[in-house]
Amino acid sequence: MAQILQYLANGLVFSSIIILGSIGLSLVYSIADFANFAHGDTMTLGAYGALVAFGVFGGLGGTVLGLPIGFFIALAVGMALAAVVAVLTHILVYKPLDTDSIGLLITSIGVAFVYRAVLQASFGTDFLQYDIRRSGPIPVLLDTLDVAVTQRDVAIIVSAAVLVVALHLLLQRTTLGRKMRATADNPDLARVSGIRTDRVILVMWVVGSALAAAGGVFLALYSQLDPRIGFNILLVVFAAVILGGIGSVYGAMLGGLLIGMLHELTPLLGDIGLPISNAYAPAVAFVIMVAVLLVRPRGIAGDMT
Amino acid sequence: MTDPILTVDGVDSGYGEVQVLDDLSLTLGEGEIACLVGPNGAGKSTVLKTVFGMLEPWTGSVRLGDREIGGMAPEDIVRIGVGYVPQTENVFGSLTIDENLRMGGVARDGGLDEVVAELYDRFPILDDKRTANAKTLSGGQRQVLAFARALVMEPDVLLIDEPSAGLAPNTAKEVFDDVETVNELGTSILMVEQNAREGLGISDRGFVLDQGTVKFEGEADSLLDDPEVSRLYLGGESRR
Repeated sequence: MAQILQYLANGLVFSSIIILGSIGLSLVYSIADFANFAHGDTMTLGAYGALVAFGVFGGLGGTVLGLPIGFFIALAVGMALAAVVAVLTHILVYKPLDTDSIGLLITSIGVAFVYRAVLQASFGTDFLQYDIRRSGPIPVLLDTLDVAVTQRDVAIIVSAAVLVVALHLLLQRTTLGRKMRATADNPDLARVSGIRTDRVILVMWVVGSALAAAGGVFLALYSQLDPRIGFNILLVVFAAVILGGIGSVYGAMLGGLLIGMLHELTPLLGDIGLPISNAYAPAVAFVIMVAVLLVRPRGIAGDMT
Repeated sequence: MTDPILTVDGVDSGYGEVQVLDDLSLTLGEGEIACLVGPNGAGKSTVLKTVFGMLEPWTGSVRLGDREIGGMAPEDIVRIGVGYVPQTENVFGSLTIDENLRMGGVARDGGLDEVVAELYDRFPILDDKRTANAKTLSGGQRQVLAFARALVMEPDVLLIDEPSAGLAPNTAKEVFDDVETVNELGTSILMVEQNAREGLGISDRGFVLDQGTVKFEGEADSLLDDPEVSRLYLGGESRR
């Protein structure tokens, strides 16, 4: 039982990261109609941006959720950097290209290589870490539930939840958010209604890339940082987006939660005697994704936006 | 005819390389309802799309009053008093009725709440379902919502593409009644209608399009009475 709780706790942390990545991928699909393979490297870019910024701000006093205040400043810098780069990429590369969604997909793979090459040339391929002391499991949880959860895990879950709620409020409670939903729903009708969709699309790139960057920063905080972390997780993010219903923001959240959980619950299969180890977690997650799609071809959330 | 509020003058237009409109000219008088009729593929919807900036005129001119609007973007045209109701996919399905109406008013300078309240008064069917997603509406209700969304801007000119498409006869009649009501409140209307007799029936003037150009034009009544127009384009004998 404690073991299941432990898997669920791990799943919650991993899901938080996947959800942050999924939202942007789905947003971009809904407006630009292509699978953006540079999205994983946008996550990586944010993580390195935060690394550099943490070098500057890391020494600031005070802590939030057990992490230095400087970390959250670095997080914001990483998110801003990813947003700027994504907007520039949109304006300079994707927008001028007169091609179909396959052409854009292949282009985005090229963009991913460029992002990664720049990061690799600047920082090398060694594993790096944010210079924050790791603390052990939170004693109360360890004593009462026998679950090892660090303060860092809690900080990731809480931060992701704050960002997701903020996005939800933006989408549902503000005119800008409604314009985003309207543009994703039907771009032609949005223009007919008077919405300046060019601007709304830029906002969507900003929001999607900033959230991806946050996911990248938390992924690096959870494990460590190298130029491939984002790309390595991209297929899992795709699985989440497709499971949820591609193009749907809330579907991406739901899909991210499920895929993250399934990924971390895979050891259960080993526990009940099946010869499936944690190394096969991505495969298990994908098998379940396909199984769900056989039943619900448009994803769990269908055509919710 | 009253003074022209909308003038299409010698316009060629089309999709990509494919030309649809061929030297097309027409005028909409202030306060009128004018109806475009004609066979499938004649270019009726293309006229509306070209006027509204969804397509750019290759040659010729589109004027609102004296102002050239040919080639302006839809999001700018909507700001100078022209509204457009597309034939299909004309509501935001994943947004609520209320959000649909408010999206119709993003370009307003103020008074959005007042005009939305008026529209709820005029269309009680929408008032009853403010918080429902638009995709839950029936075909007729969607058409009313699409119509109301375009009215939030209180346009001087409204372009409507096939308001009766896919509707049962009773529902279509209600939609035509709404079109007449809106016109009586001062909006000039240029409408495309597959159902030519019904469309001309509520119109002041009509244009018969064929192969991208205007073949006949005149008072709606005289087009309905014209034996040649009836035989060629209205599917049978004239009504009298």
